Amino acid sequence: MKKVLIIEDDNFLQGLEATKLKKNNYEVSIASTGEEGMEKINESGIDLVLLDLMLPKFDGFEILKKIRETEDIKNLPVIVFSNLSEEKDIKRAKELGSTDFMIKSNFTLEELIGRIDKILKK
Amino acid sequence: MNEKEIEELKAENEKLKKMNEVKSDLISISSHQLRTSLSALKWILKMFIDEDLGKMTSEQANFVRKAYNSNERMIRLVNDLLTLNHSGDTTVPYTITKVDLLNLIEQTVFEFSGETSKKEIDLTFLKPESPVSSIDCDENMIRVVLQNLIENAIKYSNPKGKIFVSLLQDNEDLKISVHDTGIGIEEEDKDEIFKKFFRAPNAIEKDAIGSGLGLYTTRNIVERHNGKIWFENMSGGGTTFFVALPIT
Repeated sequence: MKKVLIIEDDNFLQGLEATKLKKNNYEVSIASTGEEGMEKINESGIDLVLLDLMLPKFDGFEILKKIRETEDIKNLPVIVFSNLSEEKDIKRAKELGSTDFMIKSNFTLEELIGRIDKILKK
Repeated sequence: MNEKEIEELKAENEKLKKMNEVKSDLISISSHQLRTSLSALKWILKMFIDEDLGKMTSEQANFVRKAYNSNERMIRLVNDLLTLNHSGDTTVPYTITKVDLLNLIEQTVFEFSGETSKKEIDLTFLKPESPVSSIDCDENMIRVVLQNLIENAIKYSNPKGKIFVSLLQDNEDLKISVHDTGIGIEEEDKDEIFKKFFRAPNAIEKDAIGSGLGLYTTRNIVERHNGKIWFENMSGGGTTFFVALPIT
């Protein structure tokens, strides 16, 4: 079973994402703050990170940077899943090496699962 | 005008710029917060529709679908407000580069293939027979123009309709046209169509999702590129929108 780390500070959104992922046979790990996210990216067996950008303490950009700079996890697929949509945010995430950038309100959770399946070739 | 008056005007100008920045930030932050709640609603309503959370009666399903569509309208409004905030804010300069419009139109038309196949609409890009010049423009903003015009054409087309996008070059301009075989624009609405929050009564009847900001934003962007936008109702039905952008 593939494992997805959700880094999301909104409890309700986090719960919905986790429910949908579990229904689609994914194992889920959850971080609710940037700090927790920074710790959990090193957890073993993570296949993909679903990353919000506006987070307390460390934001999503810092976490993405950390992932790409850490030898053991630098190739981990990261989908930035945020409601920030300004060109500068998308550009910055891309430059830092995000695998994909999805604006939450413009996608259903099925579409999100579709992207994750495709990246993990499930 | 004496020096004191010039200084006063400069100070006033700075004040207005600051107020404009505050307005833009306010729209950006509140839109982000709104989108969080709208995303939650979208996802949970879709889970109900897909019966992930158990079976519903047909009456319940009907109401949930209506709630989902209403939420989609609100998401659209927030998206359009954000685009308008960016496109119309003259204190934020556009990023002007040399852009190959032919390539941009091809990409944009391709991105709509999923949506057109749902309504069995035939969307075709009639490429120019001879090469066209590149133009200086903000690529992302011109993409918004193309998206808005094609999206409108799809929205107001009946299933199995046809949409033709074309690109032509004359001496001074590159002219893009988007022709549809849809419901057309009523004569009395002709002067209103580019105004903020205007939605044509025949469009509302058709229950198409729209905020009334799409064409207003589109015109803003075209005019900031010193271009022109207009439309014509076709005698055989449908509408053609034209955008002329100067070759600089």
